Amino acid sequence: MGNLASIKCPKCAAPVTFDAETKFVKCSYCSSQVFIDRSGAGFYYAAPFMVDETNAVGMFRRWAAGSTKAKDLDRLAQIAGVKKKYFPVYMFKRDVNGKEQVVLEPAGSTTLPGLHSLKVPATDLKIFDGSFDIGGAELIKPDIEMTSYNDQLPGKPKEQALVFFPIWKLDYVFNQKRYEVVIDGSAGEVFSAEFPTRSSGAYMAVAGLGFVAFIAEGLLAAVSLPLALVLMGVTVVGVFVTALYVARRM
Amino acid sequence: MTGISVGLNCPACGGAISVVEGEDTIPCQYCGSMLFIEGDKGVSTIAFKSKVIHPNAVAATQAWWARGFKARDLKRVGQVTEVYPIYLPFWRALTRVAGWVCGYEERRHTDKNGKVTVERIPKEVMVLQDYNFSEIACDPGDLGIRTLKNFTGETSFADFEMIPTFEATTSKDDAVVHAKNDALSRARSSARVPHVTFERLHVVPKRLSMVYYPVWIVRYKYRDRMYMTGVDGVTGQVMSGRAPGDPVFQSLAVTAGASLGGMIAAAGLIFSDGSAEIAIGGLAVGAGILYVFYRFFRHGSEIVEGEFREKKGSSKQALKDIGSIAKQIQGGMR
Repeated sequence: MGNLASIKCPKCAAPVTFDAETKFVKCSYCSSQVFIDRSGAGFYYAAPFMVDETNAVGMFRRWAAGSTKAKDLDRLAQIAGVKKKYFPVYMFKRDVNGKEQVVLEPAGSTTLPGLHSLKVPATDLKIFDGSFDIGGAELIKPDIEMTSYNDQLPGKPKEQALVFFPIWKLDYVFNQKRYEVVIDGSAGEVFSAEFPTRSSGAYMAVAGLGFVAFIAEGLLAAVSLPLALVLMGVTVVGVFVTALYVARRM
Repeated sequence: MTGISVGLNCPACGGAISVVEGEDTIPCQYCGSMLFIEGDKGVSTIAFKSKVIHPNAVAATQAWWARGFKARDLKRVGQVTEVYPIYLPFWRALTRVAGWVCGYEERRHTDKNGKVTVERIPKEVMVLQDYNFSEIACDPGDLGIRTLKNFTGETSFADFEMIPTFEATTSKDDAVVHAKNDALSRARSSARVPHVTFERLHVVPKRLSMVYYPVWIVRYKYRDRMYMTGVDGVTGQVMSGRAPGDPVFQSLAVTAGASLGGMIAAAGLIFSDGSAEIAIGGLAVGAGILYVFYRFFRHGSEIVEGEFREKKGSSKQALKDIGSIAKQIQGGMR
């Protein structure tokens, strides 16, 4: 656990520690139950990196081998740089007519892919203070104030927090063009705006030609069965071999 | 920072009281007064104890490699690099649906002269059913897990300090809305009334709780690429995973799709006997079969199991696509 915040017990003034998301805590000195009211204060949370650099590169290669990416992108992409960063997002919990509503707002402007559609990825949030180890990652500073959102949000505040979540930013070069992806440092999701794509043309051609050939041979079977069967055998082998070539190379 | 903490005392006797999250009435342990708690009471929380240990998670993943159309050399080349448990938060909601669905069913009869008569059978169905709903309480990321399949097991907070616990970041009231909608649509389909003329269904939310469920994340390497599986920490089953596919299975799929689809289309043409309906029908069925196999051919280079956002190679997704295409065509014909 490690990163716990501390408050003074309202009864005996002894220090009481608590973790992110704790609502009730018991003072270890006087045993009073203490309610943590987060509505008036702003919290800082951060999540540890659960994906290291080798894993991040491996996840990128897995993603790059995907069926919509250019063939062999996983092997041909040259990695031009891997950066470890913490990305900030504001998370507001509001009480809107008795219903809880979670609102996410940007804490800074960004051109990084995938981070426009705001979210707090699945992660183990910790209280972010002096003792939190950011592990050499670059902390992207928020350039929008938390208070600037307070008046525009619906309902009453329940909690507001600045969440730093871990990301890997990976740059790669393919066919002399530079691309970038962002890999979520806790659950391993890959985000990308633009990537070299693969055409479905060859795949469609194999499937389509095979289909038409079998229709023709099926019709022929009504006239001359032996001839049709021989042709079908040839087509089965032909389709399989071409398909294998396409699946491996295109 | 004293502004954010509130000490709790019994308003009757002044004794210190303890409150459990999720409760709204408690008796004071000193004077016995019944106290009602106002404000943010949170939800009751349980955590399942992980029954799976490190070697089980690895074994489950390796057994999973051998199933289905995954790369044939995966068992030989695949290398588990990292195995660790996490606690994932889920909203679990129990709802009850009660009410009536009325309507009718149509049956078509064709007599000897080819005359078609339509019979309407009135239906009146009472619905009284409890539904169990679960939904992940944080962003599902790339874990491929969104709902819980298992709700039984030993509950304990004993491992809570040791296992990384993912935080709940979605609204509990949103979860209740999703649970209500889910229960309503399941109740409606359970009534099995094809044409509904009248419906009154009430959804009563009974209980909302937060479930922390242990999941083992297994990361493995295949030819410099990192894949993963999520293993259920209670049952030991693989809940989700990504694995490399095999070009041989992809090619077999398209060969089977083209031959089977082509034959059916040809049979439709041969036996149509001048009827355009049968010819077009045969062609459409053949093309549909081709499409399902084609999807696997095109996207089967990665096998994805579980509740991921994109599932391109799966036949379920392909059938869904065909369904929507067929609906569009039907709409266009009318």
